[in-house]
Amino acid sequence: MMARHGYALTFALLLAEAIGFPFPAAIALVAAGAAVASHTLWGPGVLLAALIALLLGDTAQFWLGRYSGWALLGFLCRLSLNPETCVLRSAESFYKRGKVTLVIAKFIPGINTMAAPLAGSMKMRYGQFLRLDFAGALLYCVIYLLVGYVSRDFLAITLSGFHAARRAMEVVIIAALVVYAIYRAVVFRKYRKYNVVPRVQVQELSLRLSEDAGSVQIVDVRSHGYYDAGVERIKGSIRIEPNNLEEEIKNLPKDKDLYLYCT
Amino acid sequence: MAHLLREKGFNTFVIVGGLAAWRKAGAPLEPVPKEDLVKLPTFS
Repeated sequence: MMARHGYALTFALLLAEAIGFPFPAAIALVAAGAAVASHTLWGPGVLLAALIALLLGDTAQFWLGRYSGWALLGFLCRLSLNPETCVLRSAESFYKRGKVTLVIAKFIPGINTMAAPLAGSMKMRYGQFLRLDFAGALLYCVIYLLVGYVSRDFLAITLSGFHAARRAMEVVIIAALVVYAIYRAVVFRKYRKYNVVPRVQVQELSLRLSEDAGSVQIVDVRSHGYYDAGVERIKGSIRIEPNNLEEEIKNLPKDKDLYLYCT
Repeated sequence: MAHLLREKGFNTFVIVGGLAAWRKAGAPLEPVPKEDLVKLPTFS
């Protein structure tokens, strides 16, 4: 497979990783390096395919970050424990070490996905981004290709070991799926009680506002703050920071009905 | 969130569909005031 589709496979996996998919691009590079060592692939060809894929993916992420403002970073931070802190820390950390970060970002899981859109959001010049990103991509590809190249024999032994361990892996995967299903069931049971909060349709709330606006407070509880000029919210709403609820509660009116919304 | 606020004594409701449904229904929106914007650093 590596002999027939090695370049395309390397290109596809690295492009997928660069645009944000959790694909094992480093493993693909190590495998390609081993293929180069066994003369199955041509080294400069693999390096070129990998570099083009990374630069294409990163460029797409850069411009997505530029045109979506901070929304993309906000989206990427939604999975973190504290999205607000994630956004602020990522931006400040990148601002302080931005140029160096771009060169080493590909080696750091998480930062890897954020670096290019952050550079776009933070209005880095594209020429500068491209130079730094190229340096980072080159370093990343060369190191992992070299690892594969020098460890070809070790990889061959490991792969034959994988065949022997396949049965064990199947058991482990099935066990992991069962544990995950149990976890989801526990989470579902735990949060089912939250369904007791009444839900209202927009039309219902609009009607209420037209009849008795004084007893209503609309509350924006989106996971992160407002970063882009021109961003909109429901007219008359106030924002509370979900991760700072104890403090935010002090500013909420107890004599009004609170209507919460997010994106 | 709404549940936690209820536990603290607030009478809370959840708007079905959130901001997207509100916008889709053509209900009134407003730009976020400048003082509420969080200023993040930029290279320019």
